[in-house]
Amino acid sequence: MRSEWVLPKGHLSYWLRQLRNRASLIAPLRVDGDIVFKSLENIHEVSLDNPALLPSPKEFLLPQQEGMFWTEGERIRPLLNKERRFIFGVRSCDVSALGLLDRFFLEGYGDPFYRERRRNTIFLSIVCNNPDPTCFCIGLGTGPYLEKGFDIQLTDLGDRYFVQAGNRQSQRLVRQWSFLFTTPRKVDYEDQYEVFLSSKARFQKRISLESVREYILAGKVRDSFWESVSERCFECGGCVYECPLCTCFTVTDRSYSFGTERVRLWDTCLFKGFTRMAGGVLPNEKRVLRTKRWYYHKLVHYPDVLGSFGCVGCGRCTVTCPGRIDMATIAIKLRDLQDNGR
Amino acid sequence: MDKILTVCPYCGCGCGLYLHVEEGRLVGVSPSRSHPVNRGSLCVKGWNAYEFVVHPDRLLKPMIREDSSGLRECSWDEALDYVAHRLAEIRDRSGPDSIGILSSAKCTNEENYLIMKFARAVIGTNNIDHCARLCHSSTVGGLAAAFGSGAMTNSISEIRDAKVLFVIGSNTTEQHPMIGMHMLDAVDRGAILIVADPRRPQIAEFAHIHLRHRPGTDVALLMGIMHVIVNEGLVDIDFVRRRTENFDAFEHVLRGFHPQAVESITGVSIEDIRRVARIYAMEKRSMLFYAMGITQHITGVDNVRACANLVMLTGHIGLPSSGINPLRGQNNVQGACDMGALPNVYSGYQTVTDPRARRKFERAWRRKLPTKPGLTVVEMTEAAYEGRLKALYITGENPLLSDPDLNHVKEAMKGLEFLVVQDIFPNETMEYADVVLPACSFAEKDGTFTNTERRVQLLTRAIEPIGDSRPDWEIIADLSGRMGYEMQYRGTYEIMEEIALLTPSYGGMLHHRLRERHGLQWPCPDVGHPGTPFLHRKKFAKGLGTFITVEFRPPAELPDEEYPFILTTGRIYFHYHTGTMCRRTAVLEREEPACYVEINPLDAERLHVRDKFPVKVSSRRGSIVVSARVTERTPEGVVFIPFHYSEAAANLLTNAALDPTVKIPEYKVCAVKVEPVMKEDRRTRPVKVVDLEDLRIT
Ligand code: SF4
Ligand code: SF4
Ligand code: SF4
Repeated sequence: MRSEWVLPKGHLSYWLRQLRNRASLIAPLRVDGDIVFKSLENIHEVSLDNPALLPSPKEFLLPQQEGMFWTEGERIRPLLNKERRFIFGVRSCDVSALGLLDRFFLEGYGDPFYRERRRNTIFLSIVCNNPDPTCFCIGLGTGPYLEKGFDIQLTDLGDRYFVQAGNRQSQRLVRQWSFLFTTPRKVDYEDQYEVFLSSKARFQKRISLESVREYILAGKVRDSFWESVSERCFECGGCVYECPLCTCFTVTDRSYSFGTERVRLWDTCLFKGFTRMAGGVLPNEKRVLRTKRWYYHKLVHYPDVLGSFGCVGCGRCTVTCPGRIDMATIAIKLRDLQDNGR
Repeated sequence: MDKILTVCPYCGCGCGLYLHVEEGRLVGVSPSRSHPVNRGSLCVKGWNAYEFVVHPDRLLKPMIREDSSGLRECSWDEALDYVAHRLAEIRDRSGPDSIGILSSAKCTNEENYLIMKFARAVIGTNNIDHCARLCHSSTVGGLAAAFGSGAMTNSISEIRDAKVLFVIGSNTTEQHPMIGMHMLDAVDRGAILIVADPRRPQIAEFAHIHLRHRPGTDVALLMGIMHVIVNEGLVDIDFVRRRTENFDAFEHVLRGFHPQAVESITGVSIEDIRRVARIYAMEKRSMLFYAMGITQHITGVDNVRACANLVMLTGHIGLPSSGINPLRGQNNVQGACDMGALPNVYSGYQTVTDPRARRKFERAWRRKLPTKPGLTVVEMTEAAYEGRLKALYITGENPLLSDPDLNHVKEAMKGLEFLVVQDIFPNETMEYADVVLPACSFAEKDGTFTNTERRVQLLTRAIEPIGDSRPDWEIIADLSGRMGYEMQYRGTYEIMEEIALLTPSYGGMLHHRLRERHGLQWPCPDVGHPGTPFLHRKKFAKGLGTFITVEFRPPAELPDEEYPFILTTGRIYFHYHTGTMCRRTAVLEREEPACYVEINPLDAERLHVRDKFPVKVSSRRGSIVVSARVTERTPEGVVFIPFHYSEAAANLLTNAALDPTVKIPEYKVCAVKVEPVMKEDRRTRPVKVVDLEDLRIT
């Protein structure tokens, strides 16, 4: 089955309106000075020239708060969210992150809440023509465009989009409205290639996490370095909340007069209470241990277990970290130390 | 999924955040990237601000106390009729001044305005106050007398351009995290950071100089610094001559504060005093910051005056990145003061004793208004204790945890004839309430909040009210109608229109203007005005700045043989004030579930106390048992207890000694003793120390 088309720009809003009739359509919309992901009401509010949105689209698969089940007396009613969603306008790095989230939640024990949401969500990603100053996916192969792993990928060619569908479900979405699309010609492929090249040239940050990993594994990074990093941590949790790859959550019960709800909420491993043990022991009471852990998990443990870094270079932690100790900044600091031969 | 821009309900930074709503339920929060304060960040409280809203404890229905069976649920009509009837009856019998009203720094500007209008026009008393009394009344009093305006003079976004940051008595990174973020940015850009704090807060880790003066000696420390500035000719003579008055009298007093004398009072070395004086005076873009460490003393006003004198002496005011910046605690404490929820002023600090101001409000409200300033929070407690105050109407406050010397407050509450408590959650004070009225949380109402940099921002309703709860302004307006004074507003924007008409500094603050660019900073006198990022440009609000002479007075209660430690109280990062909201937030409560006392390792060793051991802390007024946290953050001879925990309330210990001018209690210094609870042999038994590091598998 064919999986590549061209969509004239004028046809996009018609297509989006059609999609909205099938499921809820979420897109980057302009509100009060910011652009955020929310349910689409007016197609004209869609804004695609936006910096990375906060938080990442992970919020649609692992929401900040998610009901797990209700109990009333003896009865238990599981709460599975079966809403069908199209998420339009996500970035390549976020789509790359989905691949790892899937492995985390679905390999071995499958998380039913995640599975249900994942099954019912289709992501329409856009190739980044203009990466943010904070982006560094280019050193990780997680953007600015993807060869595979996407549902639907659109490349902006000026007056038209190059559309690629990565799986059968997505192909159907195009074929249902095939009259909107045309067959790609040679010039379309050329233009697409051009866009890839010019986008790659626009990155301001070039970071090799591989060399950082080697540096850490060589035992070259002293604890005093992590001390100086963790001193600046505000313990806001922002880096974990924002990161498309972080999966920490906690579970709590809310008992009302008419029943009890169990919910899971975003949490972070950067809080000392996250690993509190019986008797009140806090194995990671010192902040430096937690900061170090976060970096080790993303740079050492992830590659060992899943074969790729726990970071896709989306740059969100750079935007959100009040202490300026985000992944990119730390990687650059370590690179500088390394370059200075220390 | 919808996202609605609103303002964080916790601290005075006033961060912009989006509330996420799905099918009418709050499901999350995210930061605004374009907001000038938080710029895409939030602290942990902001990130979790959605959760408490639906907590099962929320008050859902009005309640009335039945003598036999405690509180029973009732309808709004019944509750409000009863309140109206009782208040009217007490007013007619014992006079309007037998009724007191406590407003709230958690309520919107519109609500505070209506509550103060209710007290003055409907009840006919100036007995209205709120918790700012307990945190920043010294600022309002001290800075107003010196400059004519008691607020942060600069904007938060100016911090990153400063060259010197002088932070006194503020644990900024933990209590005003987003301001702390801007400070760190400034330091990264080369600014010099000076921190003066007896404890070692996180911000001190980044300080180039950390002065650890003895608690309660701030006046001496600041005077010592100014002595050096005068002596070494670092005074901005031009500024002092042209823009200030009363310098000579001040200089005369200053002579008594020779650095040698100051060293022996404060424990800070002469060299450090000199260094700080030179660094602070010689750089032009110097910003001074202070918080509760300055204000919560019996010398609170003097401390503030000393700060004001310092900035006038060096001319560090009235320019971008140059000024004096009190960091206000509650999200709307600035607004509650601006709106005149204080016993001596109407909105915009127009005093009740000024006949012209009074006439203006009398004409607008069509009621004769009382002329005598009313009682403050702590004085109301005292009056209730003595039986002079018969009824108290409390909105969104919890005096039975927040006020000093709680055992005394309890007696006072018991003595009241009639107590109304209006809040979102049950609290300690409700135990004594005759009527409980359920109010809406920040997510269920609209209005405006004013943050610490004077930015008036719009709050947007995200969800429908939970249960039968109603926004505070609706409750007050309804009640007022039942007492024969109609308050008819179609929405909070109409209240704001009235505020704008009567309050010069809010003249241009109309809701439709505030929607753009995250609000406006007052003064904003008319609808064409763009707001004011920094104050006192070219001229002080009151004309000339006044040097007010101050003398050093030691704290009211100093340690002695029996009570050898100084207790200082405060907040911790994961919690907020009386814990009403944060202690109902799963992650925050999990992080710090129990009260503790911070104690220096050397003191701990002397007492044979180890980390996490239970200890009993007692003062002349009460005692609590808490676990010890042994840390160098607290200096020898000083212990620190957070005041959030009702089960071990630090305010059972604190001293209700008041500053003579503004009546702020001295939360930061009182004398206590610390005793281990465990038996001697268990405490001294050696334990094998296992280093967790060694066990770690990487
Ligand atoms: S670590 Fe930071 S840059 Fe990397 S994926 Fe997570 S949020 Fe993005
Ligand atoms: S975003 Fe920065 S300050 Fe916040 S928890 Fe993460 S590392 Fe710490
Ligand atoms: S810094 Fe203050 S206003 Fe900002 S998120 Fe934290 S508590 Fe809320």
